[in-house]
Amino acid sequence: MRKLLVLLSAVAMLAGVQSAMAGAGGALKMVDIDNSDQARQRGAEIVVSTCMMCHSLKYIKFSDLSQIGMTEEQIKYLLEDQDIDDRMMSLTPIEVRKESYGKVPPDLALMAIARKKGPQHIYTLLTDYYYKDAEEEETDNHLFPGIKMPDAMAYADAESDEERAEIEAQAADVTSFLVWAADPSAESRRTIGAYVIVYLIILTTLLYFLKRRIWGKIH
Amino acid sequence: MASDKDLDSPDRRDFLGKVTTAVGVVGVAGACIPFVSSMNPSKDVKAKSTSMVDLASIPKGKTHTVEWQGKPVFVTHRSDETIADMQDASTELDPQTDSERIQKPEWLVVVGLCTHLGCVPNRVEEGWICPCHGSLYDNSGRVVRGPAPNNLIVPHYEFVDEKTIIVGKKV
Amino acid sequence: MIKKVFSWVDERFPLDEMIKHELTEYPVPRNLNYMWSFGFLAMFVLVVQLLSGIFLAMHYKADVGMAFDSIQHIMRDVNYGWLIRYLHSTGASAFFALIFIHIGRTLYYGSYRRPRELLWWTGLVLLLLLMATAFMGYLLPWGQMSFWGAQVITALFGVTPFIGEEVVIWLRGDFVVGDATLTRFFALHYLFPFIICAAVAIHLVALHWVKSSNPSGITLHAKDNIPFHPYFTIKDLFGLGVFMIIFCGFVFFAPEFWIMPENNVPADPMVTPPHIVPEWYFLPFYAILRSIPDPLGGVVAMAMSILIFLAMPWLDRSNVPGGAKFRPGYRIMIYVWFLDLMLLGYLGAQAPEGIYILLGRIATFIYFGLFLMLPFISRREERRSRVQGLPREAERLIREEQEELLRSEHYLRRENDQKELKDIRKRLEDES
Repeated sequence: MRKLLVLLSAVAMLAGVQSAMAGAGGALKMVDIDNSDQARQRGAEIVVSTCMMCHSLKYIKFSDLSQIGMTEEQIKYLLEDQDIDDRMMSLTPIEVRKESYGKVPPDLALMAIARKKGPQHIYTLLTDYYYKDAEEEETDNHLFPGIKMPDAMAYADAESDEERAEIEAQAADVTSFLVWAADPSAESRRTIGAYVIVYLIILTTLLYFLKRRIWGKIH
Repeated sequence: MASDKDLDSPDRRDFLGKVTTAVGVVGVAGACIPFVSSMNPSKDVKAKSTSMVDLASIPKGKTHTVEWQGKPVFVTHRSDETIADMQDASTELDPQTDSERIQKPEWLVVVGLCTHLGCVPNRVEEGWICPCHGSLYDNSGRVVRGPAPNNLIVPHYEFVDEKTIIVGKKV
Repeated sequence: MIKKVFSWVDERFPLDEMIKHELTEYPVPRNLNYMWSFGFLAMFVLVVQLLSGIFLAMHYKADVGMAFDSIQHIMRDVNYGWLIRYLHSTGASAFFALIFIHIGRTLYYGSYRRPRELLWWTGLVLLLLLMATAFMGYLLPWGQMSFWGAQVITALFGVTPFIGEEVVIWLRGDFVVGDATLTRFFALHYLFPFIICAAVAIHLVALHWVKSSNPSGITLHAKDNIPFHPYFTIKDLFGLGVFMIIFCGFVFFAPEFWIMPENNVPADPMVTPPHIVPEWYFLPFYAILRSIPDPLGGVVAMAMSILIFLAMPWLDRSNVPGGAKFRPGYRIMIYVWFLDLMLLGYLGAQAPEGIYILLGRIATFIYFGLFLMLPFISRREERRSRVQGLPREAERLIREEQEELLRSEHYLRRENDQKELKDIRKRLEDES
């Protein structure tokens, strides 16, 4: 019993240390990934209207958004100058972005899997902005202090808990969309996988009994 | 629990062996499907299975060559004279009436590859002539003189509206 | 009808004979446990890697501007491309896991000992080929880890005396890992698995000449052998079923477990990731490399950590047959060695600072120390068992083995061959 308690407390300590060590600066917030089409669509709209000012998603075409249930009209509604078959590239020229931020803002298509606990990083980043000064002129980020990216979702401006909750919901939608974007085949993979595992269990069980039968003769 | 004799009976053992083999074979066959399927056109290739053509930019009497699935397609805006000629004429090598080959008489849409060995024919007044071996096609794309065996292929196309067609079918 | 076809073939090709002799009627000790299934499983994974690799190669582009994008093309556009990719990435880790267990079995049960030394050596050649193949394959996705891993490891060759720099440039085809490196690694990564296939064939020829060892480590009487089919065909297939469940569990539900997140970032020669870590199966050797402060010493130590295995049959000086089963001293050594290997693996993933440096050196010391102690420990252990006597079971098996040797195929064949040779010579003499 004592050994078990010691072991459990060691694990708890480790877990605590782990989560505290997670971000470069602050701790990572938890986020519920919503795998529904609606959440992903809401996230897609925010990404196209806000994030794509500076970021691209080179591996997603606008037409791919039909995979999360958007109709052709809905997709065309999001477009500015782009074609529906174009990749989701930022319309702001590279030089302009590079000058404003010192380097080209990273592509978002794989961001959710580009580091361990990617979705939590995305969500925490978006909702960790705060004003450095009393006059509320310069923002900084708890997770990545000194970050060049501005407060895209205006989180630091939120004044009430409701406002913050609204932006947090939007950030969660953005995260859900980016999780889909990084690995669109994830759902069909797991569905097919379930069938495969069930089949293999059946086959292996049959093989087991056949093995017993064959070896039974010589034991 | 069945008696020992039953468990050892050859029939029972055979049945188990047969069932296991059958289940195994099904799995192996299923496992082949993704590999075979991966050799079929990928999503980005399938997206190119149709091409949109703007007809308004083609003046009467002129032919534009557009690309469809990597192949040239001749889109001809035929004059009334040509239409009348073609409706009267008939060919022997690959008999087809003009009306079988068009949806609207003033628009001829044919794949621009000679049915002999695949060269791209050149536009002439009477139709097309292939530079490789001299096959001659009329203004309905029908082969008049060989060695080409067949008329120029009419691809699947649809009128989206008066001024636009989509060539090909979405796969 | 089928019978007719087979007899037509049989007149012209030893197909039926080979299948009977090498497969269906091939004698196998009846007491093999599931640890003996891992060679077969490794062969299966080799086939998986070959198939998935070839079908990936139909879509992959070995060019620095296109490689990373072509992987995304496979994942998103190619029908079932994601499945073929994950089969290949998971298969690589599965291959090493199976091979490590296979080697562990050989060490524990003493299957490397006489007369199986060449079987052991061909196996080590296979391990080296596999490591080279995996290393080159890892560059192909052109992620951050791919690039920097290749950069670091190719730089290691710079320790070659006198011509170090030239060797590195020659390997890379450029001053840094670049397009030239990527293209040649692709060409060689496609080639090596076929060399591995040939080496597997040679490995199996060696095996079939000396036959499998068994958990007791002592050659059993011929009467204790059973035909491979149906006993071990069904046993191996069942083992395969269990393996496939675990393997497909990873492929379909946790493929990212084996892919480092940094490798989902395109390679950037200007930015080194904070933590360059090789794939898990290279970690122990990486730890040994880093434990020696001198660069040349580190590379030599890393190479020796595998090459020293070649000497195993001669380092083990015991005349007590078999592996750990009847040899308690050896058993303890093996357990310590396995634990040390896991410690080295853990250390290989840590940043080389603080206490990890000291631990790494201790673990490396233990690693080589065990090998060097083996001659002395094995001799001492043998002396002790001579005094105490072996367990009765071992004695009986040894006695049966000696009787069997006199009746063995080799012995009889040699006798027979010599007799035939005598007859031929006599006949020639008579004729002349």
